[in-house]
Amino acid sequence: MKKLLALVLTLCMVFALFGGSAAYADDVTISLWTYPIGGWGNSEIVDKLIADFEAANPGIKVTVEYLAYADGDDKVNTAIEGNAAPDLIMEGPERLVANWGAKGYMVDLAELWDDADKAEILPVVQAACFNKAGASYEYPLCMTAHCMAINLNRFQAVGADKLIDLDTHTWTTDQFIEAVKLLAAENPNVAAIYCSGQGGDQGTRAIINNLYGGTFTDADHTKYTADSPENIKALELLAGLEGVNFDPAINGGEEINLFRQGILDMAFCWNIGAQLNTDNNDAGLTNDGDTIVCMAFPTDQAQPALCGGIWGFGIFDNGSAEKIEAAKTFIKYMADSAATADAVKASTYFAVRDTADGVDLTKIYDGNEIMSEYTKLMPFLGDYYQVVPGWAEARTAWWNMLQKVGSGADVTEAVTEFCATANAAAGK
Amino acid sequence: MRKSRSGLNQSLVRQETIAGYLFLLPSLFFFLVFVVYPMFMCIYTSFFDSNMGKNTVDTFIGFGNYKELFQDKIFLGALRNTVVIVVVAVPTVCAFSLWVASAITDMKPVLTSAFRVIFYLPVVTGSVAVTVVWKWMYNNYYGIFNYLLKSAGVIDKNINWLGDARYALWCIILILFTTSVGQPIVLYVSALGNVDQSLVEAAEVDGATPMQVFWKIKWPQIMPTTLYIVVITTINSFQCFALIQLLTSGGPNHSTDTVMYYIYYTAFKLYRYGYGNAMGVVLMLIIALLSAVQFKLGQSQD
Repeated sequence: MKKLLALVLTLCMVFALFGGSAAYADDVTISLWTYPIGGWGNSEIVDKLIADFEAANPGIKVTVEYLAYADGDDKVNTAIEGNAAPDLIMEGPERLVANWGAKGYMVDLAELWDDADKAEILPVVQAACFNKAGASYEYPLCMTAHCMAINLNRFQAVGADKLIDLDTHTWTTDQFIEAVKLLAAENPNVAAIYCSGQGGDQGTRAIINNLYGGTFTDADHTKYTADSPENIKALELLAGLEGVNFDPAINGGEEINLFRQGILDMAFCWNIGAQLNTDNNDAGLTNDGDTIVCMAFPTDQAQPALCGGIWGFGIFDNGSAEKIEAAKTFIKYMADSAATADAVKASTYFAVRDTADGVDLTKIYDGNEIMSEYTKLMPFLGDYYQVVPGWAEARTAWWNMLQKVGSGADVTEAVTEFCATANAAAGK
Repeated sequence: MRKSRSGLNQSLVRQETIAGYLFLLPSLFFFLVFVVYPMFMCIYTSFFDSNMGKNTVDTFIGFGNYKELFQDKIFLGALRNTVVIVVVAVPTVCAFSLWVASAITDMKPVLTSAFRVIFYLPVVTGSVAVTVVWKWMYNNYYGIFNYLLKSAGVIDKNINWLGDARYALWCIILILFTTSVGQPIVLYVSALGNVDQSLVEAAEVDGATPMQVFWKIKWPQIMPTTLYIVVITTINSFQCFALIQLLTSGGPNHSTDTVMYYIYYTAFKLYRYGYGNAMGVVLMLIIALLSAVQFKLGQSQD
């Protein structure tokens, strides 16, 4: 009797197994790993986008895993080495093109770029998504210009608000120096050159490059040029400026927190995502209710050059043509269809194109005052240079260089050493 | 009759032996797969120029990675920092644990247990949680250490504890110390409780002072525990990684780099697996050598 019962149960399980899977026999399941790119790091928002995609594309299922910048690269690298890389990944050209693409792990997406894409997507974005051989390892979705932020109430309290143009969100190097001096009389922690590592490096590069018109790499993105006289002059200025502290104990995220807490008067690690943050107060306000104003980095040039953030999708070559095709369908749906407006809005950044499948993407933030104001900074978007080979090693060397300058080392020696290390990595 | 009994015994012995090995099998499997195999691969890969890349081929370079290691200033600095951590942490952890254990052993059982729990708490608390709390205490802008020292008039300007190369490594050692003393204290309390009381009483009757009782009677009897604590603390100190990764990333100016952190950095940030493995082999040899010396010294004193 027991044997009969066991046989019946076993048969039930076997039928359930095959019967259950038979209903989905034609389904393709692809995995998406995403860094916290605005709302793309929030499962509630992403679940809705995925549900819409699956409804529009029956037969394709998408699983999502959320990465953090602190250890996301380690997870992806470990997965690659363990032959368990995701099918899809969402991030920027510095990882997709310059790192995993260059190492041969990504699928060339050049065929996804039709003539309409090439006409609609901004040239600076296109350039960042292709390597020199013409292969594309990223299909872009959204972008922003990284900027800095100031505490307007503090500026007003010391009369430094007269030094900034609140309409264009610009100021000169001399005005920045004057503002720091005024603020430092009241607060010893006006700003921090954070340099513990782990992201946010664009802010430190931008303040240094902009002050006297220096560049981080050459125009061909083959060589690091941070040892130029303009950059050395800027570093020497910051190192000697009372109120600006080189701090190896904090990273970009912690600098933002200190700024929100009112400890710092300026933040160099800022973008529209930070401006829209409502964790501790309404968007555009510090924890204490002071007004936060987004500013371009100060410069003595005709106009500032802001670092761009470009985010999109890449596909890992896991050997399954079926999954690659499904992943391409996903990319086209999210980044080049009527659904793109929602996908871009989810990121809280701006679209990399004016239209997608006939839908106007220039007006998706109409009525949003903060986003409209932030668009004034977008024309200052500079060269996207974060595609130089050896980017990961160069970034660590950059932090070490800042730490040395902060501890009183000779600036010229420190940047020369940085460039030697970074260029050696670029040449590997 | 005798033969059949002997045969029965042999059969029982064989069955017990097989059963014993079967019980060992799961552990043996995990030991082979997760310890022996990775160890072999680590040594093997250390002789190759092995990097990340789909189309890259590992190139045999003999002792090339090892030669490079001893010309690498960052590795030598990391090795020096690691040695400082071991040299400072091991004796202080052992001495402090023994002192605390001696002090609380003779207390009421409730108090002894309470102290054991207090000192053991950092051990069972997740290293991330511990690190977050310490990072807050060390904070340059609103940390409690700066607040207390300024309130007491000891300092007039905030110290950037983790951002200043003069203090950062010592801050790490202090955290390591607090997370390392819990287990030794529990072990020492247990070892001191097992000391033969008749010998202690006999020595006291013979007029031995408390110090003489401790060094002549108790110390030899807790020597195996001391040896175990020294070896374990040495290994843990050599493998200091999480604190560095979560607090300083080796900075400022490489002042808190440890060999373990540099292995991680080389393998996971620079993707130089062969070079990272060569460091791992060197670290393994140093730990093995030191452990052997400690065991030898411990046995000779036993």
